[in-house]
Amino acid sequence: MTPTYGDDVSSDAALVERFLRRDVSAFEQLYDRHSRIVYALVLRIVQQGSTAEEVVQDVFLQLWRNAGQYQSHRGPFVPWLLTLARNRALDNLRLKSERQRRREDQTEELPAIAQAPEYEKALDEKRRAEQVRSLMGILSAPQKKAIEMAYFEGLSHSEIAAALKEPLGTVKSWIRNGLLRLKEGLQTAS
Amino acid sequence: MSEHDQFRELIEAYALGALDASEKAALEAHLATSCAECAKALEEARLLVSQLAYLAPAVEPSDMLRARILRTVRAEAGEARPGAATSSRTSIPYWLWAGVAALLLLSVYSTWDARKMQREVAEVNARAAAELKQREELQRELTVVTREARILTDPASKKIEIVPSDKKIPSLEAMWHAELGIYVTGHQIPVPRGNRVLQLWLIPKAPGGKPIPSHTFAPDAHGKIGMMVDNPPDVIAQTKALAVTEEPAGGSAQPTSTPIWVGGIS
Repeated sequence: MTPTYGDDVSSDAALVERFLRRDVSAFEQLYDRHSRIVYALVLRIVQQGSTAEEVVQDVFLQLWRNAGQYQSHRGPFVPWLLTLARNRALDNLRLKSERQRRREDQTEELPAIAQAPEYEKALDEKRRAEQVRSLMGILSAPQKKAIEMAYFEGLSHSEIAAALKEPLGTVKSWIRNGLLRLKEGLQTAS
Repeated sequence: MSEHDQFRELIEAYALGALDASEKAALEAHLATSCAECAKALEEARLLVSQLAYLAPAVEPSDMLRARILRTVRAEAGEARPGAATSSRTSIPYWLWAGVAALLLLSVYSTWDARKMQREVAEVNARAAAELKQREELQRELTVVTREARILTDPASKKIEIVPSDKKIPSLEAMWHAELGIYVTGHQIPVPRGNRVLQLWLIPKAPGGKPIPSHTFAPDAHGKIGMMVDNPPDVIAQTKALAVTEEPAGGSAQPTSTPIWVGGIS
């Protein structure tokens, strides 16, 4: 799959390059461009407005203070930012629920994300959301439910199986097959 | 299915964070072997998983959150600039500093203005007090002059010539008004020696009566005398004569010297 960057992707990288040099206006543009999806994601995970604001503030201040963590050659900016936000929100959720399990992919050492495929080309937030929701609508209700429990609640296969009272193998299949269908759908749509 | 294929099937769930501990550990061990295919698949899986964020219901973050974050960022950006550390460390906006400075200036000006007004009020009060004192003095002088004039012009006043024992010095003259008092005048009167003063005495008609002390006085630089006794120690009908002696400063209760002037009341 040949990486093809759209205008937004490219300008995100350019803005990151600028705020690496402590350009506040570049940071402000990035915030205005992506704060809605970050806040929506975090609120969906933590389920509480004031907590969501705290987490979003942490995310963007970490972005500002450690802008060097993002390396444009290792992948597009938005997925990296969303991964950072999700990890922070789940950390907050786990801290509050006093769960013992800890994530090992800490936010300070975010993993590399693939170079942008076609579906990561410039799409504004609204169109991207419509596309992803549409594709998720194709999945079976259990597939969608299991994926959302894993993504938004940070639950493992076993925890989801226990919560849904379904066999572990079934849950694993739902999640894997559901994600593969989503991937195919995104590639086809692009 | 090969071991690699088995791990490959775990990649998406791993990117999602859904693997249980044992599977997760096993996959990470495999990834540590630098399996290029799995590493690439993992990057793509992470990108795919990040798209799930768009399933979250659309909501707008508050303007306050934006303001809070940008305020912090601007303050930290300011700290990074040489010479801007002090102003940015407190995160206080410049307009607020300007307001504080304006208030301080206003406060200093108000204090200065209040003190200036206090000084002006004190000066006005002092001038008013001085003018009042001067007015009272003038009023008192006017009262004396008026009394003198009435004594000197009222036909009811009795003129008494007070004659010196030494013919080389001029006489004194007294005008005694029963209600207004005694007014003594003189010209070219020699100044008493040392710290001595002249003192007026009322000599009673009663046999054996002792001289009654009255005011002390002295001529001015031109030898002029004008002395008012507005409340004589005795009445004219009971007084035989007026006498003037030279006494120590402050006067005496009894004459300590021979009278220089004596004037009989007929």
